[in-house]
Amino acid sequence: MFDFDATLPLMAVQFLLLAALLNAIFYKPLTKVLDERDNYVRTNKLEAQERLTKTEQLTNQYKQQLAEARKQSQAVITSAQTEAQKIAAEKVAEAQKEAQSQREQAQREIDQQKQEAMSSLEQQVDALSQQIIEKLLEPAHG
Amino acid sequence: MEMLSVLNPFNSLPLASLEVGHHFYWQLGNLKLHGQVFLTSWFVIGILVVASLAATRNIQRIPNGIQNFMEYALEFIRDLAKNQIGEKEYRPWVPFIGTLFLFIFVSNWSGALIPWRLIKLPEGELAAPTNDINTTVALALLTSLAYFYAGFSKKGLRYFTKYIEPTPILLPIAILEDFTKPLSLSFRLFGNILADELVVAVLVLLVPLFVPLPVMALGLFTSAIQALVFATLAAAYIHEALEGHGEAEHGEHMP
Repeated sequence: MFDFDATLPLMAVQFLLLAALLNAIFYKPLTKVLDERDNYVRTNKLEAQERLTKTEQLTNQYKQQLAEARKQSQAVITSAQTEAQKIAAEKVAEAQKEAQSQREQAQREIDQQKQEAMSSLEQQVDALSQQIIEKLLEPAHG
Repeated sequence: MEMLSVLNPFNSLPLASLEVGHHFYWQLGNLKLHGQVFLTSWFVIGILVVASLAATRNIQRIPNGIQNFMEYALEFIRDLAKNQIGEKEYRPWVPFIGTLFLFIFVSNWSGALIPWRLIKLPEGELAAPTNDINTTVALALLTSLAYFYAGFSKKGLRYFTKYIEPTPILLPIAILEDFTKPLSLSFRLFGNILADELVVAVLVLLVPLFVPLPVMALGLFTSAIQALVFATLAAAYIHEALEGHGEAEHGEHMP
């Protein structure tokens, strides 16, 4: 069972040759492939992460823009509403003023006519009173 | 072990014969080789090389089929080496530890799964390469060399200070450790694999049907565990040599 002979060194040499051969045709190429794949996966992962952060940034940007646009539209609506209100108020004020002026004019005309009527009435009173006096005095002269 | 085959009256089944200590010798100059060990180890090497070539023939970023499987194996080995040696220094040791694991694992499982005994040899029988003490001692000595190399290349001659670093009283034990490490590595693997094959063979001798199956399943399990243990311990020893004193207890209590 324990008979050592030249099998031992030859087996050792054969084993070393096998190790060298396998190193050339098995360990080296497959190790290279494994490392390359690790690198590939790592870089891809990094890239994907970068893209993800970029996407998130873009999303945030868009959200901001959207909020801004909403704010702007709100502002536009508000300003339009105030403007419309202002215009309406102006129009109302103008109409009121016009009405006022028309009323004043009418008043003034009425006043004038009243004045005229009064003055003509006064003249007539004068004439009438003259006539009354004449009528009263006539019999005396008579 | 011959006794068992003598005891068995139905020794006609080729699956149920036991031969330990018989080798199919090759003569190389005046050196003797265990041919059956080399034959099966070439088979194992062939499997590994073919699988590697198939996995790397058409490398794609998204792996499938054999490439996926071998990448899984490689990641397993890399994790093993990384856990034992540490993130910083494990990379140059992956081929050594990985080849230890793959070679022992495929050897063990080939011994457990492939009915080598159906192939007749003139003498001895085919089995897992790791059930020959020469193979396991070769691997264990290579591990010793590896961790010495790791220590020297990292620290130069200051590597020797680890023998007297906490206290010189432990010097004999520290030196002894360098001998017990390869010894325990090689005998653990050899003993487990050989014992497993013997248990299966003996059970097959006694009860040829169904009863050996749970033991075979257990054998598959221990075979895998032994490959893992050998590779883990080798990595732990290398880590120890790289780190220096203080972690001498690292992973010494494995089965």
